[in-house]
Amino acid sequence: MISCSRATAIAVIFTMVTAGPGGAQSLPSARKAILDGYAAAAKQSDPGFHGFSAAAGQAFFLAHPGVSQPETPSCSACHTTSPLNAGRTRAGKDIAPMAVSRTPNRFTDFTKVERWFTRNCRTVYGRLCTPQEKGNFITFMESL
Amino acid sequence: MADSVGRPNHVKTAASSPEPSPHTRKVWDFGVRGFHWLLVVAVVTAGLTGFFGARNALDIHLIAGTAIAALVGFRVVWGVLGGGFARFSSFLFAPATIIAYARGLLRGTTRRYLGHNPLGGLMVFALLAVLTLIVVSGVIALGGQDKQGPLAFVTPFAVGWFVRGVHKLLALMLVGMVAAHLAGVLYESRHENENLTAAMLTGRKRDEPGVAAQTGQGSWRLASILLLLGGVGITAGTIGLTARPALGVPTGPLDGAYARECGACHMVYHPSLMPASSWQAILADLGHHFGEDASLDPAITEQLRTYLTANAAERWDTLPAVKFRQSIDPKDSVRIDATGFWRRIHHNIPDATFTNRLVGGRGNCSACHSDAAAARFAPQNIEIPEELQ
Repeated sequence: MISCSRATAIAVIFTMVTAGPGGAQSLPSARKAILDGYAAAAKQSDPGFHGFSAAAGQAFFLAHPGVSQPETPSCSACHTTSPLNAGRTRAGKDIAPMAVSRTPNRFTDFTKVERWFTRNCRTVYGRLCTPQEKGNFITFMESL
Repeated sequence: MADSVGRPNHVKTAASSPEPSPHTRKVWDFGVRGFHWLLVVAVVTAGLTGFFGARNALDIHLIAGTAIAALVGFRVVWGVLGGGFARFSSFLFAPATIIAYARGLLRGTTRRYLGHNPLGGLMVFALLAVLTLIVVSGVIALGGQDKQGPLAFVTPFAVGWFVRGVHKLLALMLVGMVAAHLAGVLYESRHENENLTAAMLTGRKRDEPGVAAQTGQGSWRLASILLLLGGVGITAGTIGLTARPALGVPTGPLDGAYARECGACHMVYHPSLMPASSWQAILADLGHHFGEDASLDPAITEQLRTYLTANAAERWDTLPAVKFRQSIDPKDSVRIDATGFWRRIHHNIPDATFTNRLVGGRGNCSACHSDAAAARFAPQNIEIPEELQ
């Protein structure tokens, strides 16, 4: 896992550095850099990697893995079943919609993306997510 | 004293043989009557809001209390500068006279007094004294407990909390005194065959030819000047003192990293709401933070630990800081809603209110306390969402 995420980080940083012509990076290209990083990491751990799937991302988003606390059975417990909607934390704070079309700066800050995948995968799935799962998730959020 | 030469207030006719006279005399001037009935309104309002009102009725209670203070101030001035039966000296009797009157009361042989009788006069002074003490204790309680008002800058919470108890006791005592006053009015009205309540409205009582003419004319002009100057001075002083920073109340902005990191998921709890040990326990287990993983960078965690420890409840003197810290549940030291104080003051609120989407749980103080972010929690700023009431 550690080597995997380190590989992801290196790949993402490499892509970020090479992506833009030095100026301010656009949001879509920042997101693409993060996705490319996850793709590279996924390929490294699975040579048969075929790219990311929005449908798989949706299934992952809606799934009830059944390993978590009763308050957090799924991503949709807080984010609602449609990423187009605003969600709400258990403590009553609004969460901006996850869909990129609604919240354009989603998945553009690698540190933030990694932090929340780490936290929420542990909370809902009881483990860290794989680069494949993260890429599927972002692809789903981009597809709406 | 009224018993000295002239005895203006002393009627010689025996009470048992009243001789109704068609003539009446003005006994209670406009100042006394206005004072009396405004005081009734103010005391009833203060009593109802104090004993039965919700916490957010505090402003009405404070307005009533301010009115009582102003009325007592007026009465003291009018007791010196007013004329006739308004004057304190007209119903300040020697102890022996008061005792003799009380004995007569037991035997039913009291005599008629045109103004206050000796016991009634004593009651006026006692009421004015107790009302003054109630106002003073109220201002101290407000300053120490709620960190509001002219004494907030100097009154420690513990003092305010203690004096609040004194304020309550005095208020209960006042209830007893009001009951005694009403009983006295009832007794005298029956015994002298005269409606004293109506007399306090019209100011007129049945005349007694034997009673000497009243001494002294009231000086409205002097009283007005004195009250105006005193009123302006006290008001200015109160405003000036109220503007001073309250003792032990946090005012600075919250740490940026703390507000950003912790405010991402929940209301930003002011550091003053929990003791340092609770904050440290929370930061030590962010991986299992109220059922969720909220882990942070070790460097940020350390930064938050420093900030929270330095600004924890121990440093402050507000009601939530002191009461939450004192009532932490040792078995669940990371929850504000597990403290004894939190549970006590919220026990009337049904679970459904907390779980309602408009509130979002026990942890979302801001849903009903509009000043929760600043950790003030003023009674006046409590507002349960309308849809839930």
